[in-house]
Amino acid sequence: MKPLLDAHGVKKTYRLGQTSVPVLHDASLSVARGEWVAIVGSSGSGKSTLLHLLGGLDRADKDSGPISYDGEDLRGFSPARENLYRNRDVGFVFQFYHLLPELTVLENAMLPSLVGLSRLAWLTGRRAELRDRAAELLGTCGLGHRLKHRPAELSGGERQRVAIARALINKPKVLLADEPTGNLDVRTGGGILDLLAERQAEGLTMVMVTHDQSVAARAHRQVKIVDGRVA
Amino acid sequence: MYAPLLANRYLTSRIIPLIAVGAVALCVALVIIVVSVMSGFLDMVRNSGKTLIGDVVVSYPISGIPYYDELIKEIEALPETEAASPIVETLGLLRMPYGTMETTQVPGEPGRSEQSIRGRVEFVHVWGIEPESLERVAGFYDKLYWRKPSDEVAKGLAPDDPRLEAYYQRDEQGKTLRSSRGRDGIVLGIEISPYNKRTRDGSYRTRGPSGAQDPDYFMPDMPTTLTLVPISSNAKLGEDQSRELDIVNEIQSGVFTIDSQRVLVPIKVTQEMLKLDEAPFADPSKRDANGRPMIVGTTPARATTIVVRAKDGVRSEDLLAGVERAYASFSARMRADPTRTLLPPPIDRTNIETWEQRLADLIGPVQKERELMRTLFSIVYVVCAALVLAIFWAIVQEKTRDIGILRAVGASRVGILWIFLRYGLLIGVVGSLVGVLLAWVIVVRLNDIHELIGMPASTPVKVTAWVAAAVALGMLIRGLRRASALQTVCWTFGFGALSVIAFSLLNYQGYMVWDPAVYYFTRIPSAVDWDTVRTTVAGGILFSVIGAAIPAARAADTDPVQSLRYE
Repeated sequence: MKPLLDAHGVKKTYRLGQTSVPVLHDASLSVARGEWVAIVGSSGSGKSTLLHLLGGLDRADKDSGPISYDGEDLRGFSPARENLYRNRDVGFVFQFYHLLPELTVLENAMLPSLVGLSRLAWLTGRRAELRDRAAELLGTCGLGHRLKHRPAELSGGERQRVAIARALINKPKVLLADEPTGNLDVRTGGGILDLLAERQAEGLTMVMVTHDQSVAARAHRQVKIVDGRVA
Repeated sequence: MYAPLLANRYLTSRIIPLIAVGAVALCVALVIIVVSVMSGFLDMVRNSGKTLIGDVVVSYPISGIPYYDELIKEIEALPETEAASPIVETLGLLRMPYGTMETTQVPGEPGRSEQSIRGRVEFVHVWGIEPESLERVAGFYDKLYWRKPSDEVAKGLAPDDPRLEAYYQRDEQGKTLRSSRGRDGIVLGIEISPYNKRTRDGSYRTRGPSGAQDPDYFMPDMPTTLTLVPISSNAKLGEDQSRELDIVNEIQSGVFTIDSQRVLVPIKVTQEMLKLDEAPFADPSKRDANGRPMIVGTTPARATTIVVRAKDGVRSEDLLAGVERAYASFSARMRADPTRTLLPPPIDRTNIETWEQRLADLIGPVQKERELMRTLFSIVYVVCAALVLAIFWAIVQEKTRDIGILRAVGASRVGILWIFLRYGLLIGVVGSLVGVLLAWVIVVRLNDIHELIGMPASTPVKVTAWVAAAVALGMLIRGLRRASALQTVCWTFGFGALSVIAFSLLNYQGYMVWDPAVYYFTRIPSAVDWDTVRTTVAGGILFSVIGAAIPAARAADTDPVQSLRYE
């Protein structure tokens, strides 16, 4: 079966002043539709960089191999298609939640759908529909009673649940999670993993970066990165 | 459609944008206040100038224009003319009806002193006028101050306004320039008498040296002496001429130089005193039966100035062309008539000007000053843009992570740019509107604020300042006890400023910023110039957006991965 995400011989080098720091060398990874893959490795091994490249947040080196999504090479994406890819096809969950402090829980969860909403759709009342969907999603994440709160008023676990709701609001095919439990205690982290596992069981493809073996163990498959290469 | 939500939320949930709004508001208010006052000043100069001299002025100073009544007839026959009036203008000395009591030692008689009254003498600008025709040209009656107010006006006057009493209503004497004793009268500018005190509402009270209201110092009805010096056409001074005239009224034009110097007398009086009146003309080469020079005719009366008013809707330039034609025809007619004993000055030596040309010396510099102010204060826009830029730079820095998040959820660079441009636009619009409101309040209340600054500080004000300083000191001590650097610094400044104010108020005797002797007018112009408001608001918004554009572009260029790592 054709993989949903396929990276082949990916290279990424960061420039720090005059120095070039190679982070990924010929890293390759295939993720099948509906699969849950955990990327493990030590700090600085290039796990997060690979995740960012898969999510179109960063661009690989010019001499890098292709990264494709559902058969489309990300390198050929126009800026508009790239934005659409991040908005519709993938969802991100970060270790530090990355919620906007000025927005309420509901508005944070709605953010990707608002980004993708045209002026016409706004005027024709799609906003209310999106609000209902975000509220419902937050309800399933256990935050139905927190819709009007600001992120500062929530616990770490609750913030991560909002981040998950935000990542899922546009019904992406892939969820990319970077240490989603890295900032939480074991019990709260377990709850977050359960939530993600539920979604994954419904058919969501998931790539999760973690250095926690117990978290990685819940994935279908583990991929280890050592010094920028998939071991 | 996330941009409006974020722009509004950023504006309302943080202090930094409020500082930006405040900065824009102050810049906008500053420009509006300065240019409004300058524009108001210019309008006042123009309007007051026009109402006093009509639309077109014909003048030939010193020796005057003979047969002026015929010239006036010719000018009034023009289709552009509403009315014309002759004036004799000159300078003179006026001995005021009151004076100071002086005690002098009698020479050679020790211990014996004499008391005498030394009358105060004022240097005045004299206009000999025909009241009725000047009324038609320049609305002279409206300028008379001691008049019976209409019922409508009376309602708006203070209860102690003297004009409500019959004694002070001198309409008829003012309009005819005849005193109740039947003598020739004189109308003085209201600021000439030091005993006319202007109140806050712009009306006058007659106050004696003690400061109390005193009808004895009310000028109308008092005799005064006017002294003029005739000057011949070859610039030789003649013998000075004095005449006693009764004060019949006072005029208030609102122009300080006029109110403090101008006196109006019947034209006949000035003509007689300056020897510009009709008089027998003798030819020394011919002798009569008694061997004296023979009277061969009469020299006509002369007027130095003729003021002309245009019909409604006629431009002063069009009237000027008509008056020039009329003068040329008048001059040609006089020259062709051998019976005329005096000839009018040729047209090229006579000043025929519109009121704007006549007042060019006054209007020109004010116009230039206004443009200079407008230009100088336009720098404020750059300040406004720089402030917004600095504040936005800080905001973008602070929002770097948010930008990364937005990019991660699919926001485009244009979308990010638009959030911050919209934010700048919002700050420009809100700041400009607050600025307009602030400027409006200040400009409308400018004279009250000026009066307030001009008054010595009252006891409640002083006490309030001291109480505020004491409270600030208390807060400073509290900040020190709590070891809060922010509170300590803020209250140190607060206490410093309030104690300086409290100390300054102790001996504050008031400060007059707007000196009518310098600025011609007794009141500061206090009308908002709405043209300036429109351009300033547009400028404030535009420069706020320009200030926001560079940080916004920087935000749009932010690398999402880098910004997500930014903490």
